[in-house]
Amino acid sequence: MMQRTGSTTCLTFLQAAADMAPSDGIRLRFDSEAASIHGEADCSEGQDYRWRKETGMTCWGHTGQMYTPKSAQGAMQPRRWRNEMKILTTIWATLLVVLSTAVLASGHVKMLESGKDIDMVLLPKFLGILVFDQANEGAQEAHAELKNNGDLLFVGPTPENSVAGQIEIVTTAATQGQGVVMLSNNAGDQIVPAATAAMEAGTRVVTWDSPIPSGEGEDVFVAQVDFGSIGEVMAEMAHSLLDGNGQMAVLSATPDAANQNAWIASMQEALKDTKYADIELVDIVYGDDQAELSYNRALALVDQYPDLGVIMSPTTVGIQASAKAMQDEGLCDQVKVSGLGLPSEMVSYTLNGCAPEFALWDFRDLGYLTYYTAYGLASGQLTGEIGETFMAGRMGEFAIEEDPGRPGSRRILMGPFTVYNADNVEAAAK
Amino acid sequence: MLHRLSPQTIRILALLVVLLLVILFFSTQVPNYLSGRLFNRVSSSVAIMALIATAQTLVILTRNIDLSIGSVVGFVAFATGSLITDNPDLHWTLLVAFSITLGMFFGMINGFFVAVAKVPAIIVTLGTLALFRSVLVEFSDAKSIVTANLPTWLINFPNTPLLEIGTLQLRASFAVAVAVVLVVHIALSRIRIARKLYAVGSNPEAAEMAGINIGLTVFTAFVLSGALAGLAGFLFLARFGTITVVAGLGFELKSVAAAVVGGVNIFGGSGLVIGALIGAILVDLIDSSLVRWHLVSEFWREAVLGGLILLAVTMDTLVMRSLAVWRTARSNSKEDRRANVQSP
Repeated sequence: MMQRTGSTTCLTFLQAAADMAPSDGIRLRFDSEAASIHGEADCSEGQDYRWRKETGMTCWGHTGQMYTPKSAQGAMQPRRWRNEMKILTTIWATLLVVLSTAVLASGHVKMLESGKDIDMVLLPKFLGILVFDQANEGAQEAHAELKNNGDLLFVGPTPENSVAGQIEIVTTAATQGQGVVMLSNNAGDQIVPAATAAMEAGTRVVTWDSPIPSGEGEDVFVAQVDFGSIGEVMAEMAHSLLDGNGQMAVLSATPDAANQNAWIASMQEALKDTKYADIELVDIVYGDDQAELSYNRALALVDQYPDLGVIMSPTTVGIQASAKAMQDEGLCDQVKVSGLGLPSEMVSYTLNGCAPEFALWDFRDLGYLTYYTAYGLASGQLTGEIGETFMAGRMGEFAIEEDPGRPGSRRILMGPFTVYNADNVEAAAK
Repeated sequence: MLHRLSPQTIRILALLVVLLLVILFFSTQVPNYLSGRLFNRVSSSVAIMALIATAQTLVILTRNIDLSIGSVVGFVAFATGSLITDNPDLHWTLLVAFSITLGMFFGMINGFFVAVAKVPAIIVTLGTLALFRSVLVEFSDAKSIVTANLPTWLINFPNTPLLEIGTLQLRASFAVAVAVVLVVHIALSRIRIARKLYAVGSNPEAAEMAGINIGLTVFTAFVLSGALAGLAGFLFLARFGTITVVAGLGFELKSVAAAVVGGVNIFGGSGLVIGALIGAILVDLIDSSLVRWHLVSEFWREAVLGGLILLAVTMDTLVMRSLAVWRTARSNSKEDRRANVQSP
């Protein structure tokens, strides 16, 4: 964390940050100490920023939305050139934007034509879970926006029949001749035969939230966030909750949950950084995404490791069960809970300090983007090739790329995700 | 000494010995294992399972099975949660009554199909397992019950210590569960009407000859089991606070496991609810201890647990059978001696 004394403006803050030539991912906090804030950059008092090589400064924490201050680039220039450079930069930037938009629009970024006639199926892991309903809301929004004359069906198995039910629904969708199935896969590679058969029958398969691990039988995976960056964020949250030093443990979903395992692996990777040298990951346990099991697992962790400081749970069930367990046993002062959680379920634990910080992405947006992708593919407007770029309505431009976590498979990266704490959790919970 | 005790009592004693052995074993394997906390952990988490195992036992005694029990617990927890969320000032007695009544209602549905329509219980409850869960999914409208909307008394209730000895606490949820188990146990062993459950389970034809209304008895067993499942749903809500549609998933297997490990005969007619309680404690203890035992990886935990259950049941059968053989031999030799004495 960078401390500045005296009168600090946003500009000098950015200037100093640039002078430090910080490494990727470093956190900086802007502190004006009652100095007036100039309008050149969108810095806010007390807000944390995270350094990104490619974009300059990105905001972190507080509002949680990742963004780049408008004039971050300009602010990096030596101070005496500031005004001149600013004008020049503005002119150049405007020109560049105009030019690039023109180039992209004519060549690369595909605009999807609305009003086609495509039947689509949105298939969650199972029914009755809030986040999946939010994804459906996003998909319905896109459905209306694209004026699709076909039907958008939101169908899913019941919780106790998730794996078999998903396979059955994919098979049925192919038989019915649906244009596309949008799948949040809960069946691992067991879904492959059904998904491959569906693709052979002409039904496109777009996965979202949770991909098909082998990538077989899948056109493209719409990833909520970069799986690598989830690991970084979890490491970062643990770091801030432990003040850089202490023991943490992971409470995951099932031992074979593809997405959780990928996130945990990426967190272990992130923890190798010297910054986290004093953080010890002592154990990984699994609560099978069931409240009672997760609750007991969390308590077993506390009993096993008397010095445990953080329980990191990358699942919405695990995080709230852990928080409840710590609250019930009066352990919130010793053990903090963090991970991925739903604001509406976590609000009381965030406010009482049991789970001061956690992250999640917007499932409405995920549903919306998935719909655009699926619509584009099923209507033949997108081919699904790597490098293809298209406009996804209000969310802007997205590109199909190779999935770094699953070589040979393709993904579309949504991002960003939001870090929630006492400042923003109440608003998000409503 | 051994021959004076009933097989059921021997079974309970054997279970207690196994329980002790398990604790001793893990205390040599796991650091910081033996402490008051261990009791607190197991007793609080077993409270719900003890009620469900008792409910399951009532049904198993009559040669039936209730696979829908997890769905009932989940539904009751959710419905009770939404009732108190909408009416935060509701008196606790009304809330508990609501949970139990709702559970009884589900029990009646199961009981009707099994006792009146004569459909095998495994088919009926397999159907209602899915049916009740689907109704819950529909009813929930993808919302969750969240702790923030529940009154404090409800959230604090399960962990309220009634008695404290050092770090060891007797908590309200466990006390409720033990009280229920004891009441059911006394009823089953002392009350004539309750004995009918055993009669129907051990020999339906004989029970019918003896003038017992089999249909009514089975129906009652399901309704009572539903009531207990309803109470378990209430405790589930109080303990976990956040309730989604997956609440209580997999409880059918755990409850059957607890009852069977506790010596309840899966073919009906014999078994004690005290046994089911100890069975529930044993399963819970092994499960939570395995997490802390690093020799067994997470992937094998379920398999180890399944193996232990098989072992427990097999041992039980073998020991009970050899005990029966030994007793028959013993009483035969006694009779022989008596015969020898009388013959000259």
